[in-house]
Amino acid sequence: MNQTFSFPRWQMLVASHWAEHRKRYLLALMAVGGLLAGWYSFLLLIDHFGPLNLFIQYATYYCGLFLVGCFHASTVFSELGSKSRAIQYLSIPASHLEKLLCGILFGVVFFFIAFTIVFYIVDIPMVSLANRIIAGEKQHWPNTFQSIGIVGVLDIWNNQWAPILDRKYHFFLFAYFAIQSAFLLGSVYFARWSFIKTVVALLLFWVIFILYVQKGIAEHLPNGWHPHDLVRWANNSDNMLPASMVALPNPMERILIFLMQYSIPPIFWIITYFRLKEKEV
Amino acid sequence: MVSIQDLSFSYKRKSVFKGLDLNLQAGHIYGLLGRNGTGKSTLLRNIAGFLFPQSGRIDALGFDPRHRQPAFLQQVFLLPEEFYLPPISITRWVEHAARFYSLFDMDQFYKYTTGFDIPMQGGMQEMSYGQQKKLLISFALAVNSPLLLMDEPTNGLDILSKSQFRKIIAGAVDEKKCILISTHQVKDLENLIDRILVIEEGRILFDQGMDSIAQRLSFTLSFDPEETARAFYSETSLKGNALVLPNTEGEDGRPDLEMLYKAIILAGEKINQQFES
Repeated sequence: MNQTFSFPRWQMLVASHWAEHRKRYLLALMAVGGLLAGWYSFLLLIDHFGPLNLFIQYATYYCGLFLVGCFHASTVFSELGSKSRAIQYLSIPASHLEKLLCGILFGVVFFFIAFTIVFYIVDIPMVSLANRIIAGEKQHWPNTFQSIGIVGVLDIWNNQWAPILDRKYHFFLFAYFAIQSAFLLGSVYFARWSFIKTVVALLLFWVIFILYVQKGIAEHLPNGWHPHDLVRWANNSDNMLPASMVALPNPMERILIFLMQYSIPPIFWIITYFRLKEKEV
Repeated sequence: MVSIQDLSFSYKRKSVFKGLDLNLQAGHIYGLLGRNGTGKSTLLRNIAGFLFPQSGRIDALGFDPRHRQPAFLQQVFLLPEEFYLPPISITRWVEHAARFYSLFDMDQFYKYTTGFDIPMQGGMQEMSYGQQKKLLISFALAVNSPLLLMDEPTNGLDILSKSQFRKIIAGAVDEKKCILISTHQVKDLENLIDRILVIEEGRILFDQGMDSIAQRLSFTLSFDPEETARAFYSETSLKGNALVLPNTEGEDGRPDLEMLYKAIILAGEKINQQFES
């Protein structure tokens, strides 16, 4: 029998995890659906002009995904927070890799699919209701003769309504998986209060990172030069517009963006694997 | 089956074991006794791979427990003192949990649960602590793992259940299995264990079979001051002084585990000398 990964054994682990947690997962999804419906109903009540426009739907989807997804990820290995539950969990005859992959399946893959489905289950009828309200009230935009058009349903794969920085690279979607993977690690790393502790750890990391980019790197730049973004440095002297700019070569920039998009979650998952292996209880 | 050599373990600042050596053989039921905080549960968790020694070596069934390989976890079952059962029905839990253990015997499981009089309907969270414990004991025995580690298994069991526990455990052991039971309640292990281990100050203070104990020590009640003076340990009672004496007559008696434990803790060196002579 393979001691690192066996697909039949992993299937048993997944089935066992589902049997044990399905009630909680289904109730949590119903609660998420209820909260989304409540939020949309509130918007319909207070906004008669453009309720549930695409930007609102976009913001709702990503706020929900980040908040609920990160909270859920911080509970994926919550068994390890209590001695009795940790012993029960670690004594299951499955490898650490199988346990990690089971956690990723439920915490990352299934959660993303389930959250997106629940979002659309609420979003589609609520947008349809918003359109009926707009059609019934026949309103115009304030101080114009332009009538309020019907609202479309958000397509999360089409980023045309996203903020500018997100349109090209699906920045928020990739950032979500990266941040969620940090919360997954937090659920193994911190025995208690893993969500709060991970938030604090990430904020600290973010502050250090910003200080490094803004101050640490800036100190090594020649006079008048400052960081423009992560891959560009500008010299704007006294003007607002950069007088000159130095950027990393385009292929290197693309490699960096590729790494930032795709490498962070696997790196955190690998660290989670080793933490799980080293876990003592 | 289990070989521990020069084991050292500590929790942050508190040292628990220093150079502990121990061998456990198949076909025995070991009773692990010791004071609070001497590391009985810690030893079980080191053997099961939930704690890692700072130095020394543990070999359990040919595995290094710290790797927690699936093949190892299939062959070792730890029944912890504080345990968790998921909030689902018994049948669903058994159906899923049993699949991981190739030697699990469902008939045996139902035989034990019937013997313990466990209600099989409803969820496990609605059961009392004692019923949950009996359920987990039934599961642990039905797993048929060669190495079964039990931490305070009789805690929370009523008198009838304790008696049933002894009966079931006695029937469950065979020449391929080794059962290690850690407990404070030595009376619960009487007529069950065939070897006794006493842990004290980070090492195994006493490790003897019950037959050998019966041959070397005698447990008696006496008012004779001379006998009392010769005793390794004495305790006054209304019926006379309860004594642990060297067995000079060569008669096999039934060891009183509680008296033996007290004698080992208070006069361990003398007792061990009696076994060396």
